[in-house]
Amino acid sequence: MKTKTILMAASLVLASSAAYAAGWTGGDDLPTNPLACDATPGEVVAKPYDGGVPTNAPDRNGKKITVVDVPKLIGVGYFSATTKGQAEAAKELGNVDVKTDGPTKANIDEQITFIDNYVTSGVDGILFAANDPVAIAPVLKKALAAGINVVGYDANSTPDARQWFVNQAEFNGVAKSLVDNLAKEIGEDSAFAIVTSTFTTPNQARWIAEMAAYAAKCHPKLEFLETVEAQEDNVLSFNQATTLINKHGDKLKGIVGMTSVATPAAAEAVTQSGLCGKVAVVGLATPNAMKPYVEKDCVKSVVLWNPVDLGYAAMYVLRAAADGTLKPGDTSVKAGKLGELKVVNGSEILLGSPFVFDKSNIGQFDF
Amino acid sequence: MTLSLRSFMRHEAVLGILLVLVLFVLAQQSDKFFTTANILNQGRLMTEIGLIALPMTFVIITGGIDLSVGSILGLCAILLGVFWQNLGLPLPAAMALAVCVGALAGLVNGLIITRFKVPPLIATLATLALYRGLAEGISQARSVRGYPEWFFVLGQGEVLGVPTQLWILIVFAIGAAAILGLTTFGRATYAVGANETAARFSGINVDRTKLLIYTASGLVSGIAAVIFVSRVSTTRSDMGTGVELDVITAVVLGGTSIFGGRGTIIGTVVGLILVQALKNGLALSGVKGDGTIVVIGVVLIFAILASNLFSRNGDG
Repeated sequence: MKTKTILMAASLVLASSAAYAAGWTGGDDLPTNPLACDATPGEVVAKPYDGGVPTNAPDRNGKKITVVDVPKLIGVGYFSATTKGQAEAAKELGNVDVKTDGPTKANIDEQITFIDNYVTSGVDGILFAANDPVAIAPVLKKALAAGINVVGYDANSTPDARQWFVNQAEFNGVAKSLVDNLAKEIGEDSAFAIVTSTFTTPNQARWIAEMAAYAAKCHPKLEFLETVEAQEDNVLSFNQATTLINKHGDKLKGIVGMTSVATPAAAEAVTQSGLCGKVAVVGLATPNAMKPYVEKDCVKSVVLWNPVDLGYAAMYVLRAAADGTLKPGDTSVKAGKLGELKVVNGSEILLGSPFVFDKSNIGQFDF
Repeated sequence: MTLSLRSFMRHEAVLGILLVLVLFVLAQQSDKFFTTANILNQGRLMTEIGLIALPMTFVIITGGIDLSVGSILGLCAILLGVFWQNLGLPLPAAMALAVCVGALAGLVNGLIITRFKVPPLIATLATLALYRGLAEGISQARSVRGYPEWFFVLGQGEVLGVPTQLWILIVFAIGAAAILGLTTFGRATYAVGANETAARFSGINVDRTKLLIYTASGLVSGIAAVIFVSRVSTTRSDMGTGVELDVITAVVLGGTSIFGGRGTIIGTVVGLILVQALKNGLALSGVKGDGTIVVIGVVLIFAILASNLFSRNGDG
């Protein structure tokens, strides 16, 4: 038993040596794939379709379908933006009836119950953003078994529990963008800390693991202090960021916010501590939340994709899956104004490269 | 005694009528509501809350409260994963150990409350934070996944066409109702809640009664944790957050007095079903999540007002 454990540990370490070697916390233990330090794009590796297939789905080609969207939680700017994109796409398509419903807290149990009820009520399609990739799988499989088209966006489930997943940006791409901007702002041999949602939230854990791998490869002198959890809660994020500032003092040169709640809260904490320009804030956030800080030069770069486009693409992908025009093995899918989107990783559809908002362009965005 | 017995019946009657009314209205709204598949599925979804609500009825009857049940659930879930994956114990042993830890956590609650005379609200508020913190610390924030297929029988499987965990809930509910209604222990529970000093002077071992009840609360939270892990096939340290409020809602809606001395298991079961039926039925008839919470709040207030009105009439 002991040797087995050691072997397992050894293989884990090998698989993600960088993440562990650097001692970062908050990452997951999946293998990482850091991009090149310059702007060389990552390769797309061909992989057979690994998604699920709905059982005995009726012929929905061109017919009006009802779709329910169950995001991680409702009432936050980010998922309001994806809802807006879905509504836009539904209007263009003209044969989709879509509504968003979900828990008011990012709670796995409540999200499962919501989806379960919609499976019972008999919708044609389900869009989801998973709070936990494994916990959500049984109920999604149940939906597939009931002949419902299932497409994920923003946060994936295990692949066989849904048909397609719209990937807003590849993890290594976001990680590269965050770490590059961080290193540019605080300098190569400075220390920083991370504010994340929870250590088990799949996206955030993946990004942190990829950041660790990319930093080890391209910015080896950056000093990682710690990762703190703030559960996508405004007040908690602010408190955690303030604690980081007080705890590490002058040593702390940068804070990376991993959620659209943590980043503005960290910027607010830095502003209130009067450390604008001394402690840099880099992170994922929606432009509206960050405008005041970017305009005051307190924050220089905000990394994100466009969540409206994400919701829009998810709606088009679901429609294509329901129509049967997007089949296992296809390499691209048409998504209205976004054009052709690439299929990657077997059953994922890539939205594009991450986008960096800064003072010069942030005014043009409103979400 | 006859008078108070009558007022129990009154509350349950009000609640029963309300439940029938709600079921009737919801069935009109959606033809998917009154199907066997949906009803059994709802049974699956409410089992964890239902299980914990049983000992919580005892706790509240003694005039206490246990806010730490959600955290105990989280702690036991995490430990189940840790015992099995990190310590390499066989899964059945890990399940048993996790449940034991739940009982131990409940015992600690009971000891703090009885030995140090800390009010239950404060004691369990503290352990709510303590146990959740332990869960997050022990888990190192990593989920444990990849349980063997047989384990999912508990949370996702069926026995004789009925979800496995619903059988467990039914057995526990009957057991709890029998203990509360038919045994000396049940009478001691009411006595402690109605008048603790009087109970002491009539030779009831108040501390022992409370200790047993809080331990049972932890134990059952541990069992709920195992079922929960089996249902969602993964462990996370944030499991069971906020469960205590759903549990207390079911118990209080079921007519158990928050001041102690009054309450029944059947009331709790009806309260539980009422909340679950509302959540499910409203969702099926197209009401969104936020609307559902509002309706549940209104029903809770209405049920308590109605019952107060009747019991006042009964008393006066």
